[in-house]
Amino acid sequence: MMALAPRLQDVAKPLLRVAPVAAVAVGLIVGAFLFANVSPAVALSTLATSAFGTPQGFSKTLEETAPLLIAGIAVFVALKAGLFNIGVEGQLLVGAFAAALAGQHFRGSVGVLACLLAGMAAGLIWALPAGLIKALRNGHEVITTIMLNNIAVLTTQYLAGGPFKDPTSQSPRTVPIDASVAMPSFHVGSQLMVSPALVIGLALVVGISVWLFRTVAGYELRATGANPTAAKFAGVNAKTMIVYSMGASGAIGGLAGALQVLAFKGQFYDGFSPGYGFTGLGVALLAGNSPLGLLPSALLFGALAKGATSMQSLLGVPKGITYVVMGLLIVTYAVVRYRKAVAHD
Amino acid sequence: MSLAVEMNGISKRFGTVQALDSVCLRVKRQSIHALVGENGAGKTTLMRVLYGALQPDFGTVALDGKPCRFRNSSEAIRAGVGMVSQHYSIIPQINCLDNLMLGAEPGFVLSRSSAKRRADELAARMGFEFDWEADAATLSPSGAQKLEILKLLWREARVMILDEPTAMLSPSDSDALYASLKQLTEQGATIIVVTHRLPEVLENCQQVTVLRGGRNVVSADVKDTNGPMLAEWIVGQSMHGAPDRRPPASDEIVLEAIGLSAKGDRGNLALKSVGFKVRKGEILGIAGVDGSGQRELFRALLGLVKPVQGKLLYRGRNLIPATVADRLRQGFRIIVEDRHEEGVIDDWPLIENAALGLHWLPQMTRKTAVCARYAFMRFALAVRHGKQAKQLAVPYLRQTGWIDFAARRREAQRIADRFDTRHGGLHQPMSSLSGGNQQRFVAGRALSNDPQLILAFQPSRGLDISASQKLYQTIREECGKGASAIVVSFDLDELMENCDRIVAMCNGRMAEPPKDKARDRNAIGRLMVGADA
Repeated sequence: MMALAPRLQDVAKPLLRVAPVAAVAVGLIVGAFLFANVSPAVALSTLATSAFGTPQGFSKTLEETAPLLIAGIAVFVALKAGLFNIGVEGQLLVGAFAAALAGQHFRGSVGVLACLLAGMAAGLIWALPAGLIKALRNGHEVITTIMLNNIAVLTTQYLAGGPFKDPTSQSPRTVPIDASVAMPSFHVGSQLMVSPALVIGLALVVGISVWLFRTVAGYELRATGANPTAAKFAGVNAKTMIVYSMGASGAIGGLAGALQVLAFKGQFYDGFSPGYGFTGLGVALLAGNSPLGLLPSALLFGALAKGATSMQSLLGVPKGITYVVMGLLIVTYAVVRYRKAVAHD
Repeated sequence: MSLAVEMNGISKRFGTVQALDSVCLRVKRQSIHALVGENGAGKTTLMRVLYGALQPDFGTVALDGKPCRFRNSSEAIRAGVGMVSQHYSIIPQINCLDNLMLGAEPGFVLSRSSAKRRADELAARMGFEFDWEADAATLSPSGAQKLEILKLLWREARVMILDEPTAMLSPSDSDALYASLKQLTEQGATIIVVTHRLPEVLENCQQVTVLRGGRNVVSADVKDTNGPMLAEWIVGQSMHGAPDRRPPASDEIVLEAIGLSAKGDRGNLALKSVGFKVRKGEILGIAGVDGSGQRELFRALLGLVKPVQGKLLYRGRNLIPATVADRLRQGFRIIVEDRHEEGVIDDWPLIENAALGLHWLPQMTRKTAVCARYAFMRFALAVRHGKQAKQLAVPYLRQTGWIDFAARRREAQRIADRFDTRHGGLHQPMSSLSGGNQQRFVAGRALSNDPQLILAFQPSRGLDISASQKLYQTIREECGKGASAIVVSFDLDELMENCDRIVAMCNGRMAEPPKDKARDRNAIGRLMVGADA
């Protein structure tokens, strides 16, 4: 019992410190809804019931969660090596495009595998320049990945509207994938639908946790992220680690795009991603230090995305307000973390 | 009132550790007061309380007889208290003048010319010379120390706290530092020096306060004490300084460098055609002032820097192609110079830090026999090394990429126990340890798991006398078991006391004193400054 007492104190103190920040955040969120001319209580209850209240709603939430989770994992892997991969959006787009192309030509379960591999390869190739530039020339990955994002958005847009455009379609979109490579959602119970993409995401979270925290390679990667100089003195080849983690991050980003095509969209089109890669940054930041934190974090963002649609149709709250709320959440979290770091000093 | 500082009954607790237990400190005006004690005795904590960086749980602080309570260090600075901490707070990317003013700029609109005039005035008062427009990165350690002192003067500090001011300085620079401190006291300042080096205390300070385990042991006038008395107060027992004698090193040469040259951080040739031999069981001391090429030599030996020229033979084999990881696997161990940057990961728990650098050793990974991996490594090594592959591949046998957590925990415990690292649990972050305890941990790690070649850079930095003795004794023990060691220190006496053979480095070159003067302090000293060249 003696040992418990200081621990309780340790828990209570930071909570007290966080309280004012949380209060401000709640105030801002309430203010945001008031600004949109709805009662915050009604808005929040609509958000919650539409996202979690019914099996259909929850299925939709899970559908939104899947790409955010995988994009979040992609960001997380790079973050652990000390790299801020802003380029997941671009890697996701090229991955989706590659999978959409592969899906037109391959069939069956081999085809599914081929599509996923094509997506991962595309994402990997898209991330590699950023990793190499960082490792060999110390060019900052934030700059290079933002540039690569722009190239990815514009290139896939051009390809989907030009050389690879579905001739039967009015809008810029590719020919739909073969039905045999689609990965439709399956029923859990009578009404809840779960997508294979989500299952793969969950497996990835477990796999990444094991890799980062139970293997020597993961240890080296985390050491590189935490203190590259100390890692070098410990015999870690930091350059290799940077390239590896950036490559892995890109491959996972590409996988997120490929799964989105196979599981939900069936083809690639202009405006394919509503910013999954960028929301993935928020997911990974909010997850904190543990990969398991990605799960609640991705679910939260998924629920917000689903709730935003419902609030728009039911209450007329513009979707933008939900993105404001998302931003406030991340800023609040950043403030809490920042304060912790200062208190540590 | 002639007391500049009066601290009464100061207590401070961190979690379960009572860092300070009603400690008193009385410092006379215009004197140099030494604060000594073991690692974790509470010296730095007490000074941080005085500097306002920490709030005491109990106790009072008075300056010039006036009670005061600082909520943060800026209040302390305004009251005339300044502190130079062990790690200099100089920003290398900006110039010296900006460093001097940073945080205490004169007014909203900066007049650089008038600032420069005042800076020159202060420097002249101390007899220092500075190129104010030069980047602070170009400063030597003693130059940085001087700039830190000028920063205190710039802020008009009357009470100056210096934490381990000579840790990075050569003997002559230390003497010069104390000369300028003396001058400062004559001009009205009061100085508190936190240090481990007793000769400095005896030579330069007027009063001394000894702390042990967060409590006062004694406060006395230095003229009433002597070295053995101080040492006994510090450790609480009589010290037996005589090192144990070992049989002379064998003739077997473990490491040989021939004409080794390497570049420094700034692309200059920092290591110039250095040649030396280390025998089995030998402790080789490398004397020299800071920046004579010791750093680059160690980096080349560890494989972090590829030499531009020369040969490096380890047990007769060419070492140059071996990576850092290869060398660590062969038993190379390093006690790094800057443990924060190079040795530990501050945010990580001790248990994870324990594996750093040892993490690929077979005993730290799970012992599942993976034949495919062994076969692959045999093949890969055969491609690179030909006939030696079979022997080289042995460490890969039964090794897997999975961490053995039980082994890691045992290892962390062993490392912590080796030099009595005081910690609040192996799952506490490294940053929760005091500087000296971190050094104990780093040293313990370097001397674990059958070291073959120990590279120690200022290994006693931040350690108190007893820990430092224990460290050297352990190095001697390992050398008795067949390891060899290379020790770099800026403290020649430390090397004379602990090493079998001493060479000196000066300006990137290495020289060995003639056989008949091998233990001649003056001869080595001349080599250190290049006087015999």
